[in-house]
Amino acid sequence: MAHSPTKVTRLGSKLLAGAIVVTIGATSAVAQVAQPCIGASLELAGPLAHTGLQVRLGAETAIDEINAAGGVLGQKLKFIAYDDQGEPSRAVDNGRRIGEKDNCVAMVGGFRSPNALALREPIDEMGLPWVGVISAGTRVIEWEKGVNKWMFRVSMKDRWVGPFLVDEAKARSKSGKIGLMFEATGWGQGAVPDVEAAAVAKGLPLVGKETFNIGDQDMSAQLIRMRDAGADTLIMYVVDREANQILRSMERIGYKPTIVSAWGISSQLGKTAGALTDGILVAGTFAWNGDLTPRAKKVYEAMAAKFNLQSPNDILLPSGAANAYDGIYIIAEAIKLAGAFDRDKVREAFYKVKYEGLTAKFDPAFEKAAPGAIAERHDAIKPSQYRLLAFHENVLKAVEQTPFKR
Amino acid sequence: MEQILQFVLSGLSQGGIYALVAIGYYMMWAATKAANFTHGDIFMLGAVSTVILAGLGIPLPLAMPLAILLSAAAGALIERVAVRPFNQGPSSVGWMLTTIAIGLMMESAFTATYGPLGKPLYSPLAQSPIRISGTGIYPQELLIPVVAIAIMLALEIFYQRTIVGRAMLAVAANRIAAGLMGINVNRISMIAYAMAAGIGALAGILLAPVAEASPAMGALIGLKAFVIAIVAGMSSARGVVFVALAYGVLEKMIEGFISTGARNAIGFGVMILLLLIFPNGIFGKREVVKV
Amino acid sequence: MKPHHQFWLILILGFAGLYLFRELGPTNYAIGVLTRCMILAIVAVGLNLLIGQAGLVSLGQAALYGIGAYVAAWLTLRADVPFLPAVVSGVVAAGLMGAALAYPSVRVRGVYLAVITIAFGLVFQNVLVEWVPVTGGTLGLTGIPRGEVFGVRLTRQIYFWVAAGSLAASFNIVYALTYSRYGRAMRATAQSENAASALGIDVARTRMFAFVVSASLAGLAGALYTFLNLFVNYETFTFFQSVSFLLMVIFGGIGTLLGPLVGAGILTYVPELFQDFREWQVFFYGAMLAAVMFLMPRGIVGTISKLAVWLTARPQTRDAKPWPSPAALPVTMVGGHVEGTVVAEIKRFTIRFGGLTAVNEASMSIKAGTVHGLIGPNGAGKSSLLNLMSGFYQPTSGTMQFLGAPTAGIASSHLARRGLARTFQNTELFGDMTVLENVLVGLHCQYKATLAETILRLPRFFTEERAMVGEATQLLELVGLTDYADELARNLPFGHQRRLEIARALALRPKLLLLDEPAAGLTHGEIEQLKELVQTLTAQGIAVVLVEHHVDMVMSLSHEVTVLDYGQVIASGEPAAVQYDPKVIEAYFGTGDLLVPASENERPPVVAGSA
Repeated sequence: MAHSPTKVTRLGSKLLAGAIVVTIGATSAVAQVAQPCIGASLELAGPLAHTGLQVRLGAETAIDEINAAGGVLGQKLKFIAYDDQGEPSRAVDNGRRIGEKDNCVAMVGGFRSPNALALREPIDEMGLPWVGVISAGTRVIEWEKGVNKWMFRVSMKDRWVGPFLVDEAKARSKSGKIGLMFEATGWGQGAVPDVEAAAVAKGLPLVGKETFNIGDQDMSAQLIRMRDAGADTLIMYVVDREANQILRSMERIGYKPTIVSAWGISSQLGKTAGALTDGILVAGTFAWNGDLTPRAKKVYEAMAAKFNLQSPNDILLPSGAANAYDGIYIIAEAIKLAGAFDRDKVREAFYKVKYEGLTAKFDPAFEKAAPGAIAERHDAIKPSQYRLLAFHENVLKAVEQTPFKR
Repeated sequence: MEQILQFVLSGLSQGGIYALVAIGYYMMWAATKAANFTHGDIFMLGAVSTVILAGLGIPLPLAMPLAILLSAAAGALIERVAVRPFNQGPSSVGWMLTTIAIGLMMESAFTATYGPLGKPLYSPLAQSPIRISGTGIYPQELLIPVVAIAIMLALEIFYQRTIVGRAMLAVAANRIAAGLMGINVNRISMIAYAMAAGIGALAGILLAPVAEASPAMGALIGLKAFVIAIVAGMSSARGVVFVALAYGVLEKMIEGFISTGARNAIGFGVMILLLLIFPNGIFGKREVVKV
Repeated sequence: MKPHHQFWLILILGFAGLYLFRELGPTNYAIGVLTRCMILAIVAVGLNLLIGQAGLVSLGQAALYGIGAYVAAWLTLRADVPFLPAVVSGVVAAGLMGAALAYPSVRVRGVYLAVITIAFGLVFQNVLVEWVPVTGGTLGLTGIPRGEVFGVRLTRQIYFWVAAGSLAASFNIVYALTYSRYGRAMRATAQSENAASALGIDVARTRMFAFVVSASLAGLAGALYTFLNLFVNYETFTFFQSVSFLLMVIFGGIGTLLGPLVGAGILTYVPELFQDFREWQVFFYGAMLAAVMFLMPRGIVGTISKLAVWLTARPQTRDAKPWPSPAALPVTMVGGHVEGTVVAEIKRFTIRFGGLTAVNEASMSIKAGTVHGLIGPNGAGKSSLLNLMSGFYQPTSGTMQFLGAPTAGIASSHLARRGLARTFQNTELFGDMTVLENVLVGLHCQYKATLAETILRLPRFFTEERAMVGEATQLLELVGLTDYADELARNLPFGHQRRLEIARALALRPKLLLLDEPAAGLTHGEIEQLKELVQTLTAQGIAVVLVEHHVDMVMSLSHEVTVLDYGQVIASGEPAAVQYDPKVIEAYFGTGDLLVPASENERPPVVAGSA
């Protein structure tokens, strides 16, 4: 009658049996050769779908080039993109799928830092090289606990972007009063300490700090406070939609500060906000508008043909697309150096990759910690290689090609 | 002072949008004791289809009524297909889920074709703001609460003076009795859904020039407007508009004086409290428990 | 198939399937996905109790799931709490939140309650984003270590079995509750709140209990999820996730045992397949949902089992037995009441609804073993008085003593427990429960087995359940409905429904029985049988208050009659005296010199038309 005890014992035996099966299974699963594929968890559907597309622009173009040139180690590379709709738990599922089911040699990360953060433990557990090409969260690479073995990045890093923006803001501000506006997301919130610290270090503590939610339509309240605090230059962590609302709210209350923004702002803003964007400065790693090097021009043409782009302005995240392109090449170079589709060897080879990319000259791409040094450098693009872009005539260009150069 | 004026003006504008969407919920609720959870996406449909039509070269004065008609047709179709067959028993799960399903399909279909990003809609009233000392607002934004109140008044006249309107009131009061009186209850419900959708689409079109028209624009507004309509008591357009405008201003005040981030937590917290104090909504009629 | 057969079959086949799955040597990824599926199924199983049994819809379940997840994560990360206590804390926290969330359900129903749960979910998410020091804000909490139990590190391979065991335990809890008095009480409150509280069921507590169980299971799932994914982030606990949980239940089939498991499986695995649709995948998700709603509104399991029932159904002949059969009167009902002692004493009861005084200073004295007739024209306040007596209304003024204790401020369910039973003017049966179950709900308060005994199915549960079924069967025999025991109450002919309602009221083992127009709609023959039953009951010392338009029945049965008009007692006394009271005649026919025939065999004068 009392079936509970019997169930417990049964469960116990199942548990035991399960554990035995597991240990046997685990030993046989070691030392597999990975497949010649590079997986990615991106935003392909939902409100952030355009960001996933930016990664595909760069990555798939690079893969096509590499395969046209004979592939890697005699094998063609495959790019497998899964959708995570910007949601961390889906990103983790996709990561597991890439690492355990598809057994890819490496993985590329997308737009959102929370997704990358959520992937830290699974990536570490699977021993899967991960290369972020957009998300700039500091803690993605610099772990507060444990050692980051597997996560690399070919993109910007908030801890370095902060000082870069503060430097620029300081140079542009007349009153020396700088404010910070950031969106209430992982990216925005995560950047606050970096920017604050950089501002303090430059001797210009922020006069205002304001946040807003995704989807907000009116930021007048925040901007009134900012204006009343006397800020004449604003550092922003914002994406296009809310940037448009901020510009409109500024117009409402007649407030026109200089804007120095992190790279959430894309070419799209020029289309929605038009003339209001003139003079907005954006940190980045690359611009597709304006004059291009012959190689970049070739890459753009391939991209435009494959994805049906009308103009470079259709590359909404110019830096992201370029990073993705470089990221794939770095992975491919590492595989060549490793001489096998073996994740451990590829990881080791990362520290030896030398490659001249669109965004920077990597020499080498990543660096191991020198004996006694603080940490390894898993960020390929150094702050000295960051570039400043500016809106001019509704188009985002390298600042040197606009009237807004310093 | 200047700040408070800004908050009130912006709040009324935001509240006007809530009001126009919430009025739709009230109309649908009155007719069928159910609602179209796709209504937020109908709001989006109005804005996005106007942008698409305008992009095809159709002049705005024609594109806007076309978009409203299209949305009204969608509303009527949703009533017929997704609400009516699932609104037979006492449970509300059926129509909630079917309409949510259609909303998902609409939103994702537009994301895939129109693109996830917002696009601007031109309006002469959203080009330069009116400035009152340090505050300012676009004429377009001022227009929104004015339209909301005008629609509310028009609806009241419609309900009192027209045959269809009176029939709607009769259906709202007692669906079965109205049917016995020879009113075609199903057709009245369908008209109510179509009108609600038209008004919702209008709200989207009014908002698009100051915000942007994007596939995701309706999700949260639809949910908020439903909460507002429920808190108002689903009993009169007047009550719904009042609560919606008040909620818009409340949100701005919270943003201005308490916390921008906690706006929704505090706002919805207030709504929950109000529902606990007024279990049938603020203006709702208390139903005497009949044993 | 009997529920307990279903239960064991699902459990055994389930574990066999899981074992087989593991024997096939799946990838870690496949193990991870199935683990997640089982964790989500825990939420679905709990939600099924809330929706399928208690009839309450929650669209905030993801938030309760999130509370479990965040509490476990926070405790592990910030306070180094080990796995088991962290999980238990997650369960408790979610359960407490569920209790708080259930509070509105006492006052707010249906869509209004759904809106409160939606709002709660949104507030929860907002708090997660804003309360950065505790929740980690939008970045969430990361770096959670794998759990350890008794020195065994819960790797994903082992964790698979932890999830399976937790799911089995949750499934067991919900099964055990569903098929016990607790589940019956939940179904009763969902189908008729009034009837449930008239049978001694505390509606608010029952609802709260259902909420707490489903919230605790959501919390359990959340805590388990934390140690599966090793991070928590606010974006997992969205409104969309709440909708998904609801979908799992609906997809599978509300109220079925297997349904939530099937639903969770489909909603976990189908999106994996949909990856190929890229930007159209949400569209297909919506389309799939719509298709199921259109084609299988009862859900997959619900539709298939309905089909199976339809295919295997054999025509049954059922006969109502002659009734009443006093021999079948349960022993618990016999004797114990001293005839003539005052059971209930009402003094100057008054109730006003706004400007209307429905009952005005009415006084009555009701004695054991007697029938007290209560008559009056339509709208005289008879039903209001009955509602006052049974605690459904609280009087504006006046008092009542029931079995020597005042009843002021006591809820109807508590009065019922003390032995005050009633029927309803429009029968309020639990239509979707069987005839036997209806009576078992009436016996709800007689149960002694504790919650733990019920869930663990300890011996007392079985002996007690058997005894109760025995008593219920006897009551059905009393009213001649034994043949219908497993028929749904709503399928009964009208006259049988009246009988069932009386049998159900008798299950309370009442001292005072209020019958509200029991003869309405009955045939002449049935009325005679009803009279016989009432006499049988009074012979056992039960006091009966009879509200009836059928005046000859009242006059022939009653020992005392009270006549109400416009809420006031206009006459009271023995039937013969009341019958010719001029005030009574005036109340029924208006003033005038209408002469009334006075023969006792003819219809009495005060016939206000039977309802």
